[in-house]
Amino acid sequence: MKEKTKLVYKVIVGIFLCFLLLPLAVIFIWSFTKNWPWPKILPENFGLRGWLYFINPSSKSISTLIFSIFLSFTVTVITLGITIPAAKALALYRFKGKKLIELLIFAPIIVPTVTVAMGIHLQFIKIGLANTFLGVVLVQLIPCIPYSIRILKSVFELIGEDMELQAKVLGANSLQTFIYITFPILLPGVISAGSMAFIVSFSQYFLTFLIGGGKIVTFSMLMFPYIQSGDRMMGSVYSVVFILTTLTFLIIVEKLTNKFYKNKLKEHNYV
Amino acid sequence: MSKIALKNIEKSFNKVKVLKNINFEVPEGKVVSLLGPSGCGKTTTLKIIAGLIFPDNGEIFLGDKAITDVPVEKRGTVIVFQDYLLFPHLNVEDNIGFGLKMAKLKKKNINIQVERMLELVQLKGYNKKHPHELSGGEQQRIALARALAIEPKVLLLDEPFSNLDTKLREDMREITLEIQRKLNITTILVTHDKEEALMSSDKIAIMLKGEIKQFGTPEELYENPNSIEIADFFGKKNYISCNIAKHTFNSGLLSFPTKMEDIKKGKAMIKPEDIIIYTEEITDLRGVILSSKYGGQRVYYTILVNGIELMAVSQPFKIFKVGEKISIDINTDNIKIFKEK
Repeated sequence: MKEKTKLVYKVIVGIFLCFLLLPLAVIFIWSFTKNWPWPKILPENFGLRGWLYFINPSSKSISTLIFSIFLSFTVTVITLGITIPAAKALALYRFKGKKLIELLIFAPIIVPTVTVAMGIHLQFIKIGLANTFLGVVLVQLIPCIPYSIRILKSVFELIGEDMELQAKVLGANSLQTFIYITFPILLPGVISAGSMAFIVSFSQYFLTFLIGGGKIVTFSMLMFPYIQSGDRMMGSVYSVVFILTTLTFLIIVEKLTNKFYKNKLKEHNYV
Repeated sequence: MSKIALKNIEKSFNKVKVLKNINFEVPEGKVVSLLGPSGCGKTTTLKIIAGLIFPDNGEIFLGDKAITDVPVEKRGTVIVFQDYLLFPHLNVEDNIGFGLKMAKLKKKNINIQVERMLELVQLKGYNKKHPHELSGGEQQRIALARALAIEPKVLLLDEPFSNLDTKLREDMREITLEIQRKLNITTILVTHDKEEALMSSDKIAIMLKGEIKQFGTPEELYENPNSIEIADFFGKKNYISCNIAKHTFNSGLLSFPTKMEDIKKGKAMIKPEDIIIYTEEITDLRGVILSSKYGGQRVYYTILVNGIELMAVSQPFKIFKVGEKISIDINTDNIKIFKEK
């Protein structure tokens, strides 16, 4: 009986992995393929055009990638700066209008971003934030904040306020409490929220395009025309790089968390 | 001087009064228990003393100084919470040294104090362990060591033993009280366990619904409760209607001469352990066993005597069967009478 359930389990996991990995494998193969006519299972003409173009400095792909990582990193840091205190307030304190604020925070996920962005665009043009780095950073906060708050709020609900109270009872002032107790205990949650924000920001296309006005070029903007115009090879090269970037980021973050905190925080099962 | 005194402390949450007129004093080096059911306001009182909550009215004195407005980190009081709250990301050494590090002591002095504390709680060599590697009892002792490391003037214990199993709880209580006596530190213990309060305190304040109903030594509270509520808190008792006229106690069960003043109507409290059960025809008070529960060290009976149902407790030298005819004797010296209006 046990063997049987194990087998079933393996089959299900296998199917899921196929669904997840097969499209990725196709993209990977496409990035080296000149053409791939139907009904051939594997392509016959391979080439490195896509990758050579990507590496070539004149295509500005790598510099855009680095710029994009920097931009998303900035967005992530600001998102965390806003959401750590906000999530704490929402998780632990009782105040008037809390439900309404919670609803409003999740509004960007519920309401299509396009509609929100249109209105913001007009305002940004008026105050001169359109087509600027700052403008793009600000607008990207909109989709990042809800996710970050969601994650951090549950972490705060789990930890509660007791550890902080205990630290204060032992003579720590507010700053010391945050540095030595709240932040270290919160760190795994901060890292999850941060990686979420990074990925959301990194994959923003429309918001960046609208507010950046073509002057602020991110990696996803570079990649989009190729996918749209049907240059499969180029599109696949950029897609692979895109996936590798976010994957690398996640792996680094995961390793860091494991190294520093997972063992120490075993009893807090939220890691 | 580190006696602590509460004067007319009051506190409301959302317009509900949770503490009404709390007054009591803990002399230096003594242990006072706040005893009461959950939700009676005892933990709130403790948090007010620690400075985690500020009272609406009233003053707290430490020695002769009012500390009501002193913020929590500067009070010199320290709480050990029910679930210990050891910092999960710090090892034992850093946990115990935390308060000292916050006070910006030198590393060398911190280490000396940490070693002293570990010795005090009998956990030498645990320096590098992390909280999740410790058992419940060990965590409790580290939490205590961490609290005592900053040499507080007052130690506040919030149900510190309630998460431990029975055997360990007794051991921890002994260790804690021994340390308390050794350091002669003024201590307030919050508990809902009556036995724990009776056994570990110099004085007990019984709290019910946000008020201190009686404050006294354990013997006083047990032997001489000032209301039926408090008497019942220490275990179920028998109450029979009675009156006293011309220095005679009268009730449906028994009457005897007494020196007490006349009472028109009252309730006489008879503790189950003051009723002694004999086989039939030893005394004049005859009855029958209605039920019996065997509890190892004791047997709990309900008996029917003169149409009155009574609870009795006896040691199991002789076990009576349900329906068996018996006679009883009542220790009249310990009868306590509550006046009724």
